[in-house]
Amino acid sequence: MLASRGRAIFKLTPCYSRYVHQSRDPIPDKRWPGWAVVVGIEVHAQIKSREKLFSDTWTSTLSQEPNTRVSAYDAAFPGTLPRLNPKCVELGVRTALALGAKVQHRSAFDRKHYFYPDLPSGYQITQHYAPFATNGTLRLPKSAVEVRITQIQLEQDTGKSTSEAHGSTTYIDLNRAGTGLMEIVSEPDMRSPEEAAEYVRALQSVLRSVGSSDGNMEQGSLRCDVNVSVHKLDKPGEFGTRCEIKNLNTIKGMTVAITSEVLRQIQVLENGNKVAQETRGFDEDRAETYTLRSKEDAPDYRYMPDPNLPPLLLKEDYVSNIRSHMPDLPGPIQARLLNMGLTQRDTEVLMAIDSGREVGYDGALGQGAVAYFDTVAQGRDPKVVVNWITHELLGQLSHRQETFTQNPMTAAQMGDLVDLVQSKRITGTSGKLILRHILEHKTTTMPSQLAQELLLLAAQNDDSLKQWCNEAIEALPSEAQKVREGNERTLNRILGHVMKISRGRANPESAKTMLLSILK
Amino acid sequence: MLRQQVVRCRLIQRSRKALLKNCYATVSQTSPREKDTLNALVYRVNSATDTVENGPLKDVRVAVKDNICTAGIPTTCSSRILETFKPPYDATVVKLLREAGAPIVGKANCDEFGMGSLNLWSIHGPALNPSQYDKSPGSEVELRSAGGSSGGSAAAVAAGLCDAALGTDTGGSVRLPASYCGVVGLKPSYGVLSRWGVVSYADSLDCVGILGKSVGHVQRVFQTLNKFDDKDPTAVHPDARKQAGFLCQERVNAWPGDATLSNLRVGVPQEYFPTELSTAILQPYRNVLRSLAKRGAQIIPVSLPSTHYALSAYYVIASAEASSNLARYDGIEFGLRVDPDNMNHVNQAGDIYAQTRTFGFGEEVQRRILLGTYALTADAFDNYFLQAQRVRRLVRADFDNVFSARNVLSSTSSAPECGVDILLHPSAIRTAPPLVHDAERDVYKLKGSKDDLDAYLQDVLTVPASLAGLPAMSVPAGVGEDKWPVGVSIVGQWGCDEAVLKVGEEIEKIIGNGEAIEDRHEMRK
Repeated sequence: MLASRGRAIFKLTPCYSRYVHQSRDPIPDKRWPGWAVVVGIEVHAQIKSREKLFSDTWTSTLSQEPNTRVSAYDAAFPGTLPRLNPKCVELGVRTALALGAKVQHRSAFDRKHYFYPDLPSGYQITQHYAPFATNGTLRLPKSAVEVRITQIQLEQDTGKSTSEAHGSTTYIDLNRAGTGLMEIVSEPDMRSPEEAAEYVRALQSVLRSVGSSDGNMEQGSLRCDVNVSVHKLDKPGEFGTRCEIKNLNTIKGMTVAITSEVLRQIQVLENGNKVAQETRGFDEDRAETYTLRSKEDAPDYRYMPDPNLPPLLLKEDYVSNIRSHMPDLPGPIQARLLNMGLTQRDTEVLMAIDSGREVGYDGALGQGAVAYFDTVAQGRDPKVVVNWITHELLGQLSHRQETFTQNPMTAAQMGDLVDLVQSKRITGTSGKLILRHILEHKTTTMPSQLAQELLLLAAQNDDSLKQWCNEAIEALPSEAQKVREGNERTLNRILGHVMKISRGRANPESAKTMLLSILK
Repeated sequence: MLRQQVVRCRLIQRSRKALLKNCYATVSQTSPREKDTLNALVYRVNSATDTVENGPLKDVRVAVKDNICTAGIPTTCSSRILETFKPPYDATVVKLLREAGAPIVGKANCDEFGMGSLNLWSIHGPALNPSQYDKSPGSEVELRSAGGSSGGSAAAVAAGLCDAALGTDTGGSVRLPASYCGVVGLKPSYGVLSRWGVVSYADSLDCVGILGKSVGHVQRVFQTLNKFDDKDPTAVHPDARKQAGFLCQERVNAWPGDATLSNLRVGVPQEYFPTELSTAILQPYRNVLRSLAKRGAQIIPVSLPSTHYALSAYYVIASAEASSNLARYDGIEFGLRVDPDNMNHVNQAGDIYAQTRTFGFGEEVQRRILLGTYALTADAFDNYFLQAQRVRRLVRADFDNVFSARNVLSSTSSAPECGVDILLHPSAIRTAPPLVHDAERDVYKLKGSKDDLDAYLQDVLTVPASLAGLPAMSVPAGVGEDKWPVGVSIVGQWGCDEAVLKVGEEIEKIIGNGEAIEDRHEMRK
């Protein structure tokens, strides 16, 4: 959380230049008549790499015991040296490409100094002077606003310190220390708290689809610092003095914080005072921001080029290789699915599952619902496949109160099942039975094998079908009589009995024909 | 060990006076000539458990400077702040020594974190110089500094406690004590020997150096340690090493040695004879030049015009990096911790760190941290740090303009038509400086010195090669008028370490150094 303390104070300055930023007109808002709002966001997203940014220690989740994922380097032991993890660079480049940013062929690492117990070396390695990517954009899907991304830089996360409420002891957990972060800095291109929220959601979606970060605010793998200023609606381009609100940990909290900060700044201005440039915190319970420190108290971080780390040189073919193996982004994925004949609703269901899926380590894309669908749909009717997945599989999973990530049924199993039903070797009812069986027993046996074991193969020869039909007619003599008399509606009851004694193996169509041929 | 580190900042009252009393190291006042009173080794290793038997270096006993990590063995950096620190790992260079079977005899005294030129800034007390040549029975023993910062390493070699020693050289810390103690001291090309496990003072300048009783010893250890280590991000890639080695070999083949050195071109840099240079140094230096010339070497005056600015640039860069590297000593994860006397004055973490750092760091280290911190502040950064980096580039360019071999690390460098193969200059501006014992405080200090800056001045001759990352070696060149050793330094193009060693060998033959050390030991017995 301390990773970004106060950084923006001087770094964002150029973005706020009145001469540069003229791209959007101020937007009137009922909540603050006569005023316009300008928002810029700095996002810190944890890179989902197996190992940390500069050591081969594994990264951790919140469930790990404190200080179990710490190496001598992470604890800044004397004599240890950093070694850049190429996976972090690759995931950074993926993110930059997804945001349409220019990947710099030469970037460098710098040290940012401050003393704090969860920063063992006394400095954070970041990319202050030469970030590895610049000039991107993120298009917000609903409002269609293009938010410009100033730069993306790689840096280290800090450890965590926890203090007892009234105690004098601070506990330090270094599991997180040295984990790779991407700092993604936007231009001040958002005009309302809602646009800010949309920006963060869109960014989360991009990060997850390229597999570079969980983007999970609740678990702290994505944190936001927000710059807010207000100005008179009739004076576009004359931006007000901004304040930075630090460490916003939920999207809801962020919109509340921005709203309350906007109202506070307007109050200050309407009272004839000036907004002081400062760094502010957010009190979630009182829904208010409060002063953390003024501009004058901004610390001097004594940035220095890191003398251990050579410049990061990324050749064009390295970048283009990553570009050619990029996972699809949300927009193109949806277009592709619709093109395959899926309904809007089906694509939304599939993609909604993916936006919450677990992102794999080192860019391995977890077997999400879209990928699962794609695998199963190869050589099969996409519409049939999507039905089996969204209706039967997801239905049964939610019935069992399980999520898609817990789905034990492989794409190969699902494909086999669809084939069995489509070729009428089993009935749809048997198909559903097999699906439930797989979820229940978490078996890896293929459905065709299960169909045999469970005696579910549809009756292939007329003998067994004839036998079941005769048995049914014997069991229901009065119904049989009615059919003979021409009441064909009663046939369904006999047919139901056939299905029952055949345990679903009988093909209903064939059974119906057979029954009629016997009875007439 | 790390797993159990739920580190706590507990704030307990503690008496600083009690700590202070125990921490000042005292030096025995008996004759420094006796091996155990030289104060060269601060920790002795009795059994060599991890050392390979019958390795190629089994006959080379090695001491390791106390700022190079040794697993389970104290690595204090001569600092109170690391007085009890035992690293859980070996530095790569130590690992390579063990693998080659070199017996490690102990840890060598040094200036705190390598900052100093006299080995006076050490919690272990000064390392004393065993190298007085004029030793007639019953004569007064003179107390002289072993030099610094690798003073213990040089003194241990000179006294025969070991055959070779590892030191570190940031701005001359191997070459200077080698010169004062009359031993060989090599600072290899930057990026050639692994720095992993070497406690950082100034990363962009720090080199592991080798001291030895002969060039042959230094060369054997160097060849053992000269391996690419991917744990060191500043290690130069094997391709560049190979390329430089090839260029260097071409030159070495041209002067076969022994009978003739006719194709050897020796540069004499004009700027390396400042007014402070003691005349006692000049005679042995001239003798070496004369002997080389007699065997056919060409002596060529050259100019390195940026030399005058090198010292200031060096102190800005080294101090800036030191202020950053030493930020980790805060008493939280390892090392000394001093809690505040009065908790009422504690408002932030820094108030607690201040106690530990004020008490744990010595005077010189504190001075450089303050200087470096200032150089990195937003107001001073451009005028100091960036300016120093510019000077550093000029110093590099100076060298590239005079050497016959191209600098393979520089894309713009092209060797001049009539460049020199090596540069030769005095290693130090004087012989080992005499010390006096201040009985009142029971500490040693420089005899007759008024100004702390005197100590910095010495580095004038050694820092340019450090700034440029070039191989430089001090070899003994006899004694001065005061009968104390004088060294001359050979500097080569980047990656031409073997050429530097080769010329060192030739000078050694002229001086007959190998026997010189033995003679001194004989006389002492």
